[in-house]
Amino acid sequence: MKDDTLYRLLNYTMLALSVFLVFCLVFQSYITLPSLVSWLGHWHPVLLHFPIVLLILAIFLGLTGKKVPRLLLAIAALSALLTAVSGFFLGHETTAKGSLLVWHQWLGAGVALTAMGWYSLSELDVKPKTLLKVPLALLLVVIVITAHYGGMLTHGEDFLALPKSVREKQIPENPLVYTDIIEPMLKDKCVGCHNPNKQKGQLLMTSIDMILKGGKNGKTLVPGKPEESEMIKRLHIPLEDENHMPPEGKTQLTDDEKEILERWIALGASDKERLSDLIEPEPLIGLIKSMMMGDPMSKWAAFPKVEDSVIQDLATNYLSLNRIAANSNAISVDMFKPPTYDSSVLVNLQKVANNIVELDLSGIPIGEVEMNLIETCINLEVLEIDNTPVTDKEIKKLVNLKRLRLLKVYGTAIGDESIATFESLPELKSLYLWETNVSRAALADLYKNRPDLQIDFGLGMDDEAPVEVP
Amino acid sequence: MEKNEDKNPLKHNRRHFFSQLSVGIGSMALGSLLIPDLFSSSQKNVLEMPLGIPHFAPKAKRVIYLFQAGAPSQLESFDYKPTLRKRMGEDLPESIRNGQRLTGMTADQAKFPLMPPAVNFNQYGQSGTWISDYFPHIAKIADEITVIRSMHTEAINHDPAITFFQTGSQISGRPSMGSWMSYGLGSENKNLPSFVVLTSRGKGNSQGLYSKLWSSGFLDSKHQGVLLRSGKDPVLYLNDPDGISRSDKRHLLNEVSQLNKLHHVETGDDEIESRIAQYEMAYRMQMSVPDVMDISKEPESIIKLYGEDCQVPGTYAANALQARRLAENGVRFIQLYHQGWDQHGNLPNEMAGQAKDVDQASAALVLDLKQRGMLEDTLVIWGGEFGRGNYCQGKFDPTNYGRDHHPRAFSIWMAGGGIKPGLNYGQTDEFGYNVVENPVHINDFHATLMYALGLDHEQLTYKYQGRRFRLTDVAGTVVKDLLI
Repeated sequence: MKDDTLYRLLNYTMLALSVFLVFCLVFQSYITLPSLVSWLGHWHPVLLHFPIVLLILAIFLGLTGKKVPRLLLAIAALSALLTAVSGFFLGHETTAKGSLLVWHQWLGAGVALTAMGWYSLSELDVKPKTLLKVPLALLLVVIVITAHYGGMLTHGEDFLALPKSVREKQIPENPLVYTDIIEPMLKDKCVGCHNPNKQKGQLLMTSIDMILKGGKNGKTLVPGKPEESEMIKRLHIPLEDENHMPPEGKTQLTDDEKEILERWIALGASDKERLSDLIEPEPLIGLIKSMMMGDPMSKWAAFPKVEDSVIQDLATNYLSLNRIAANSNAISVDMFKPPTYDSSVLVNLQKVANNIVELDLSGIPIGEVEMNLIETCINLEVLEIDNTPVTDKEIKKLVNLKRLRLLKVYGTAIGDESIATFESLPELKSLYLWETNVSRAALADLYKNRPDLQIDFGLGMDDEAPVEVP
Repeated sequence: MEKNEDKNPLKHNRRHFFSQLSVGIGSMALGSLLIPDLFSSSQKNVLEMPLGIPHFAPKAKRVIYLFQAGAPSQLESFDYKPTLRKRMGEDLPESIRNGQRLTGMTADQAKFPLMPPAVNFNQYGQSGTWISDYFPHIAKIADEITVIRSMHTEAINHDPAITFFQTGSQISGRPSMGSWMSYGLGSENKNLPSFVVLTSRGKGNSQGLYSKLWSSGFLDSKHQGVLLRSGKDPVLYLNDPDGISRSDKRHLLNEVSQLNKLHHVETGDDEIESRIAQYEMAYRMQMSVPDVMDISKEPESIIKLYGEDCQVPGTYAANALQARRLAENGVRFIQLYHQGWDQHGNLPNEMAGQAKDVDQASAALVLDLKQRGMLEDTLVIWGGEFGRGNYCQGKFDPTNYGRDHHPRAFSIWMAGGGIKPGLNYGQTDEFGYNVVENPVHINDFHATLMYALGLDHEQLTYKYQGRRFRLTDVAGTVVKDLLI
């Protein structure tokens, strides 16, 4: 019968594979693989999905007491064996096997041989009814663990780890260039393959000493000479080239990261140097600083979405609304003095009040109505109300603007009463305060209480030197 | 704003046909599944980036470019070279000149005697910036500015050099950088052009200025620089003729606009839309321009700051003050040109005069912007199109000499707009002839300027004559060291 021939063929193949697998595992340290066989190993990541799905399906049927179809079990066991053998080939390329790989290998082989055993039992019609469920459950657990180890090998050990909180990632005030900048970068982009578990190219990148020691291709890092350092050279080889690092498909270093690495090596690859030890105009300073600041747009990421049409509707010939940058919902608003002013165009901005981060109303005859709007723009960072009729009463409305960084109130009639409001704005860094009714005494107080605040009282007052600057 | 793609259905050309056909065919879609890069253009991002908005959060919102046309000598301004005094009169060593081509004006000189500056230098500010006595006011703001002493260019004559600086190419026809910024960032104030040009002229030897320097090239003509003239008609033909009232004008514009729209439907020519918008803007500019140009309300302290000259229309000082007023009114790119810096002879005398024209007002502009909190987001640039040679042109006389053009090294300064203050960037050799540290090419300068404005110089492109053009064309690296 045709069916019999098929199953006979399957059975012999599987038996041969099992014997081969056991042979490989026993004599693994004596085996060298020809390159074509190594290539077969590269199919491991494709094959492995079959036994996972098919075996779990079979186990599920077995556990629920349903009949496991003969063909399903046969193909599941066959694919498990093929996966184990190809996995052995792939693993064999790594010269120094880390503990993770060793575990993955033995567990994987275990799964394959157990599946083979299960299939053999069912072929021989041995059916221990309830007893079967315990080993099946165990097999399920082993499959999950094996798969997880395999995943960790490919994607890195903390691939499935919970995302770290932003706090943890923050770079300290005056960072150590190696410990706080370089090391986390390498950990992110290189250590996934160059760790004790994988050690690709016999290279470990887990510590500066290990990097200096290098791998099988020699000088990974030559302090002072980035152009001779293998780790820099390989960043610049075209991506398609197999010597390019990180390999195609893995997360690449950004241009800034490459430059940081290069400059760090050019400066001698020290692990003691701090940011403050660098001397301008060293490009590393700016690179590290911009890394510390992070993406300036991220603070606006949670803003409510604003459609382009909304922006267009609100804008007039004299009121311009612009996104701070493409794909950002942060908006800057500029008003230019129209021939006839009507406060309603500004009041309409209420719809996008939470999105406005910069508001320029210089020279516009604003009053209470407009201040009511400003009061609700809680994300405002820059406010320009210079040369307007605002008074102390209106300034009081600014107390809720906890994110205000820059405030221009020159050329207004505000007085000492407003100083308390300025003092209370936690983020305020720059204050432009000239041609107002603020007294020198009040200014001196403000200076004392808010030493972090840059106050500009204009050029006109320079000769008078109104306040002793501490 | 629209990408430069034709939306008009009548203008459906062969390329559009094929590109859309390719999207529709399933087998090709399958192909793209197997080979992800099969159909994706390498400029994918370019098409996704909306125009008129910065690509990322900008440091600067506008630029005031104080262009010193004719090329002021770096050796008498910001690049102090005591060696020139020590070796005065010696021939420029060939190891330094190293085959540098010369202009026809000095190529035939038998000797190239080194000429020291006829002016004293001092160090100023915390930054210890060397500045010559010709620029006492700029010296006072040494800690606000960053001097780049390592600029270099490829051109050696005025026209190609200034064209290169303004358009990124020595050959004319490309859009000016102000036009590129207008194209990339859009306008902040719809009642004024986003690119404005102001010119003035000193008593020194001058070279011509041409409107091609502020032309929009192949970009939409609305991005063209608008020259504001001094006097009663700042923009030519802007005012209505006698006997035409503003409401008559309104009626006229409405009718013309109707006709133009009909024509646009017929032909699909985008320039027609542009023209309609320009008529409307001109109508509003009739009100806004006189308002911006009127400095009569500026207080005495400001007049004192910029110098008495700023009350004389057409002077550099008046233009500098005007530049601040334009910046306040949301003009993106304000370009001043001051002519007269081409000192082939009589340099000490002429340069002192030129410096006097611009020194106080340039410094005043920086200080004025600072007190208004505008220096944070306004980038001020001061410089010429190339440098000047370190050897004497003409008769050797340390009190009255000339200097020929020199492209290999020259100095400019920048302030505000996300540029680090008080930095001395780049070095030339002891002869002030070659850059030995941190060279900044014109393309790098453009890339950096665009970066400060939130634009990626590789992403802002315009397709013309079959290929995509950039201000930096195929070169340029952002000089991150200069940025905060």
